[in-house]
Amino acid sequence: MSFPDPVAIAIPAFVALIIVELVAVRLGWRGDYDWRDTGTSLAMGLGNTIAGAALGGVVAAMAALVWEHRLLSIPVSWWSFLLCFVLDDLAYYVFHRSAHRVRWFWASHVIHHSSQHYNLSTALRQTWTGFFSLGFIFRMPLFFIGFPPELVFFCAGLNLVYQFWIHTEVIDRLPRWFEALMNTPSHHRVHHGTNPRYLDRNYAGVFIIWDRMFGTFEPERADDPPRYGIIRQLPTFNPLWVAFHEWIGIARDLARARSLKQLWLAIAGPPGAVSGETSDAVKARWQAGSAVMPAE
Amino acid sequence: MGFARPARIDDAGLAGQLAADALPGFRPADIALSRDGAGALVAGNDGRVALVRPLGDKFVVRALHGAEVARSGTVLRVRPPEPLFPETALDLGEAALAWARRL
Repeated sequence: MSFPDPVAIAIPAFVALIIVELVAVRLGWRGDYDWRDTGTSLAMGLGNTIAGAALGGVVAAMAALVWEHRLLSIPVSWWSFLLCFVLDDLAYYVFHRSAHRVRWFWASHVIHHSSQHYNLSTALRQTWTGFFSLGFIFRMPLFFIGFPPELVFFCAGLNLVYQFWIHTEVIDRLPRWFEALMNTPSHHRVHHGTNPRYLDRNYAGVFIIWDRMFGTFEPERADDPPRYGIIRQLPTFNPLWVAFHEWIGIARDLARARSLKQLWLAIAGPPGAVSGETSDAVKARWQAGSAVMPAE
Repeated sequence: MGFARPARIDDAGLAGQLAADALPGFRPADIALSRDGAGALVAGNDGRVALVRPLGDKFVVRALHGAEVARSGTVLRVRPPEPLFPETALDLGEAALAWARRL
């Protein structure tokens, strides 16, 4: 059984919704666009599409190889689709959490966070080096369990399409039951926030329940609006620098390393471990500052 | 089209807030704005000095460690030791000399 590519089908809708959001912002809705930032995001999205077309076949071949050694033979049906969609979203949570806590994975994922804006074009700001950073390994257990690769890739495409519309400030809060169950613009704004309280929170793809279950959920607060981007904001819109800056940083830190521990930290430590600017350190300094600052 | 205009930094309070937000634990104590809005220097009460400069309609902040600094009259040229970080020319008026000595 063959499945359509949800992302390819959704691309015209992505473009149309970006235009709708632009007009809404122009009319006074919350949000903002900068043409240089949006141009970089679109360039990153285009490069991601090209990289995916060039290397997607290799990932599919690896998926097929793992599936040949599967534990179970799971048929394609409505129940296996639902189960696959939920488990794929769990695999995404694990990938995403790793992508923020392990520098090798972060070097690819940082691209998505490198904009100081939060709008629908930010959703398209995607990595060019996802294959190189091995992010696809997080889905391999699904093939090993026995879900057919085409079903898993279909669910992964739906997951990606879902995540597009939550990259907006135009939508404030949704009904309480929806915010309790699903990832929403509000939850994902927190994820893109550099405010210390928001760092490394809300890793969800579709279902926010994973963050609630695993202790990484943080609600958006009106008294602490998110400031978007990364701890050390990039000084340029150059797409090449956006794509490769963290890899260059890894290479630089490897060259300077003088011990196995430094080598390990440069590759697999948390982002910022070598410079001392980890999210944990930022949070600790913020909490220490909050503790001694007088109330204003 | 709804696109924002390039940012300028002409508000000392904003410059201090941006530095404090970007550098946890940083407490602004003294601020100098470039007269043309091209950037600002913010000194913290711990002795650190931060550069705030526009990037598109937002801003980028760096604590200045090992930055290249050159003064020509009232203009201070600052470049942090970081690839692709552009040189920032700050017209600080008569305060340029004093800030050059702090860097």
